[in-house]
Order: sequence, then C-alpha cells, then structure tokens
Amino acid sequence: MTTATVAPPTGAAPLDLARGFLTGGVIGASLAAFVVGCTLGRVPLIVAGPALLAAYALLFRLAGAPRRAREGALAPLTALALIDGREMRTVAETDVPVRFDLTVAPDLAPAFRIRITQDVHVSELSNHRPGTVLVVRYPPDRPWLLRIVRRPTPEWEDRAAGAVLEPASGPVVVADRPDGCAWSLTTLLGVLLGAAAVVLLMRAELFGRDTDTPAARPVTSSSTSTSTFSVTATVTSSTTGTVAFGPGRSVLDRGVLREAVESLTGGGGGDGRQALTVVVREQLLTVVFAPDGVSAPAFDPRSLPFDRVPALVEEARTTLGVDAPRTWQLSAERLAGALTIRIGVAGAGGSASLEADGLGTVVRRSPAR
Amino acid sequence: MGWHGYLAVWCGVLGAVALVGYGRSLAGMTRAQRAVRVPGRIEQVRVPRNGGSRRGGIPVVVSYREPSSGARVVVTNDGEHGEQGETITAAWTGREIGVCYPRGRPHDYRFTADPQAGGRGLGLPNTALFLLYAGLVVAAAVDRGWPWALIGVCGPWALVGVCYLPGNVRDTRHRRERLASMIAAEGRIVAVLRDVTTDAEGSTSTTVTPVVAFTTREGAAVTAHCDAGVPDPADSYGRHLTVHYPADDPAGFVLDHAAQQRSVRSDIAVNVVFLVLVAAAAVTGVLLL
Repeated sequence: MTTATVAPPTGAAPLDLARGFLTGGVIGASLAAFVVGCTLGRVPLIVAGPALLAAYALLFRLAGAPRRAREGALAPLTALALIDGREMRTVAETDVPVRFDLTVAPDLAPAFRIRITQDVHVSELSNHRPGTVLVVRYPPDRPWLLRIVRRPTPEWEDRAAGAVLEPASGPVVVADRPDGCAWSLTTLLGVLLGAAAVVLLMRAELFGRDTDTPAARPVTSSSTSTSTFSVTATVTSSTTGTVAFGPGRSVLDRGVLREAVESLTGGGGGDGRQALTVVVREQLLTVVFAPDGVSAPAFDPRSLPFDRVPALVEEARTTLGVDAPRTWQLSAERLAGALTIRIGVAGAGGSASLEADGLGTVVRRSPAR
Repeated sequence: MGWHGYLAVWCGVLGAVALVGYGRSLAGMTRAQRAVRVPGRIEQVRVPRNGGSRRGGIPVVVSYREPSSGARVVVTNDGEHGEQGETITAAWTGREIGVCYPRGRPHDYRFTADPQAGGRGLGLPNTALFLLYAGLVVAAAVDRGWPWALIGVCGPWALVGVCYLPGNVRDTRHRRERLASMIAAEGRIVAVLRDVTTDAEGSTSTTVTPVVAFTTREGAAVTAHCDAGVPDPADSYGRHLTVHYPADDPAGFVLDHAAQQRSVRSDIAVNVVFLVLVAAAAVTGVLLL
C-alpha cells in the first residue's frame, strides 16, 4: 500500500498564543472592571467591563469570519479507515473517550496513519475493535480534524463491509494539538494580568476603601485636610463640621445621616451643640454651629426628622416637575422661629423646591416653572 | 454621565441592532433566509440498538434532489451533520422532511421536521427590541414609581394575550378534535436508550428513552422516541402498549391518550385565568399611579 506523510497539526503558533493572551487579558480586565465597579459603586466601570467584552467578542468574530467562510466552503472528504489499535479509559459516562490509531485510505490519495481521540457510546464499542474497517470524514486541508462517521450512508456502509485494508507504514499523525497546554497557560496568564492591571489602576480607591472600611462610622478629626482616597472624611473646626461620604455610601441610606450628625455634635446623649444651619448636598454634610455667646436662633441638629429625609428628597425629585433631576440640596435652619427644612432640586428642566417643618411634614411646594 | 445617559446608550445600541436586524430581514439577507431549503424523504429507518444512545435521534437515511444539478443526494443524521437542526425523533419510510443548508455548502446540511418551514432570522432583532423595552420599563419604574413596572410588564402581556386568545381557543378546540379522532394502534418498545452524563461537579445524570415501534393503517412502520407516557421506562424493553396517532401525522402520536384529553379540557380555562390575572395586574398599576 502506498503511504503518505501528512503534515501534523501545527502547534500553538506565536500568533495563536498572542491571540489567547489577548483574549484572556480582555476577559480578566472585563471581569475585574465589573467587580471593582460594583465594589466601589462606580457605574462607568460596571458598564465598561461587559461593554469591553462585547466589543472584543464582536471584533473577534468579524476578524475570524473570512477564515471560517473559507474553511466552511471546503467539502469534507469521506474515506475508509482501518482501526490499527485503540485505547480507552473507564468513565462513569456512557460516552467513552477512545484513542484510535487509524490507517486512512482515501480514494484518490495515498493512505496515511493518524491518531485521534473520539467519544464512542458504550453500546457501539464492539463495532470499533482493532481490525475493523469503518468510514471517516475530514476536511482535506486539515486531516487532524478527522472524525469517525457514526451513521454512514448505505453506499459507504457497503464499501466498508466489503473492504480489506492493510495497516499503513510511516509516521502517525497525532491529531491532538501538542501545545494545547501552552495555549491554556498563556490564556490563563492573560486573564490574571488583565485582572491585575485593572486592580492596579484602581488600587488607590480600593486600598483607601479597605483602609477605611473598619471605621465605617465617620471619624471625628481636628485636621483640616481631607484625603481624596478616603471613603468618609470628617472635618471639624470650632464653628463648622463637615462629613464627606465616599462612593458606595449614600447619605440617604438608613441611619447614615443621623450617625454623621451625631459624630459632629458629640454623641446621642446629653446636650449637644446647637447649630445655626445644617446643609446636606449629595454626599456632603455641613453643620454650622452657633458660636458661644452669640444669641442667634439655633437648634439641636439631632432633632432633625432623619427618617423622613429620604422620602422628602425623593418627593422633591419626582413630584415637582423637574425633568431628569441631577442634584439636590437640603438645608435646615430656624431663621423664622420654627425649624424649616428646605429641599431644592435642579435638573435639565429647571429647579424646584419644597419646604417641610420640624416633623418632616411638607408645608410648601415650589414646582419647576 | 448619569444613569439616564447609560440608559440612552443601552437603548441606542439595542435600537441599532434591532434596526439592522429588521432591515436585513426585510431585504432577505439573514442567514435563515439565504439558506437553501429542499424537501427530503426518509428512505430508510434503522431501529436503534437497545442500550444505545439517543444522541442524533432515530437513525435515518434521507434523500433529496440538489436544486441546481437535479442530482439525487443521500445523507444521514450521523451525529455530526443533520443534528444541528431538529432532531428526528419519529421516523418512517416515506416521511417528508426538510433539508436545509447554507448557499454553496450542501455538506453543511441540517434537517427540519416541516419541509416548508423557514425562519426569517428575526431572533436577534426581536431580542434586542425586548431588551430595549425592558430598559425603558426599568427607567419608568425608577423615575416615576413602581406601578409603571406593573403597567410596562403586564400591559403588553395582557394585550398580546387578548390578541392571541381567539387563536388559542381555536387551537385548543382543534387539539381536542384531533385527540378525539386519533387512531389506536398496538405498539412495542423495541429499544431503551440510555445516556449517562456527568457535569463539572462530577454528579451524573441518566436519561432513559424508550423507543416505540407501531404500524399505521396505511402500513407505515413508525419508529419514535417516547419522552413521556411510558411508566417505568428503564424496564420497558419489549413491552406492548397502545399508541394513538393522528391520521395525517403519525409523528403526533400519544401514549397517554386519556390524560391528554383531560389536560386539553382545562387549557382554555387556564388561558383565560392567566389573562385575567395579567390584566388585573396592569389595571392595578394604572390605579396606583
């Protein structure tokens, strides 16, 4: 029998490895961006992660389309093959992975030897004993993708039943990619490096957050400098106190505002310091305390109706006719005698405000004009 | 950029995908529309081996005429080809099925149970449109209150239900008449297929599929997978049972005829109750505004 030497499958070429590395890097970076975004409450990062992955997948698919079209247009070859040997593993599944050594005898080309691994149902193993002739199919330009045909057409079935094939001599083409492990490792390395790159870029916010996390409550400090990395910064002086809430913590969360005010006024018990004005704007709380010896209309900032604040802000944002409200501000004062809470909202559709009394009951609305 | 900006991007991207998809479909350029569809005929049915695999469906030999050359082509559902389409789970010699393949690639064929069936390739644009709508509903619910979620989800559902209700009632009546006119035949379990798979965590799952064989009045020898209706399927090999099949399509056979008749009686009531519930939820949303 005339035999031929078939080129084995090329292993992981540098280009394949680079592609795997890039794919791994994009996957790692996307996942890390999503997780870091969720951790820090940064919406752009949460969106950018999946968007990057989707854009890369689209590009990858478009770039591979010509090659897939070229390969798909080539009709596969059908040929007879002789099983020279087989090895199988015992598995719990009914589909058993079997490694076959085959002599393939195409009609118009010399025979060649190949080693493939294919799953065979346990009930069909008796049809795949060494010495059996069966029907195989493979792309002519990539014989290492050869598969055994489970259900040949009657014509090929008859040919296989009547055929006598001799084992071919010559080297065996090993169909399994020899460098599959290198490709996997490169891709894994890409995933790790991609994720590490994102974490490294965001390290300042992540580590700052970690440092501050144990002290979730605002820490009173006499320092007048704030750290841009900190989640929560508190600045106090003799007449003002400021608490800045970092990302991931909203001033409207239950109990947060009360806790912050108490941290400035010196705890919940006893007589606290009297305030002239309390201003809350987005993530910033500022309390202006009444200086000693000045008889101005002040109030105890701890007496504010904290539980009503989120509802009042929501009411101002949604019911006063401000389209796409962007920012809001709460100010509390006692200028006119009784405690008055004013909530202003500004957005694309102008600005509006509402006023509430010391119990949080709305007393006046000024809708957007 | 606020979250409204992200929503605008979301809607813009999905709207573009939907527009491109519908445009391609209208122009007849989707993959489903460009595929070549030819009627095929089952020439030979091979009875599955007892203890074999259900993968690939009932083994059949199918022939069809290649439209350009007129040559007769013989193919099988060999597990690599023909399996990507609809799996043939009921077969008899002479049954007409569809063969479909991308233009210029007849070797990449697959089967369809209905020879005339042909998709329009609207899966992707429909999904994009659904996601776009979901984004708008979420935005309305966040900006204007949760009753908008009820209205946005249940309103269209109720409208679709109302539109389809007459058709559903017609279909149910048709199924009832079809069940009543079914012909009884004696069948036998000629094989029990067994597939064991393991998942990534190592737990195994076993699928047991009895294969029934029966002969119609017209003499067609039908071989079919039984996915339901066989008690104790693992030990059913060789068992005789009564098969009911519609005269015009033996593939629509049933094994639990009485249970099917009971089930079809309540179908209309279930449809109406579901529609009332969805409509009530939508009305509740409107009242809560």
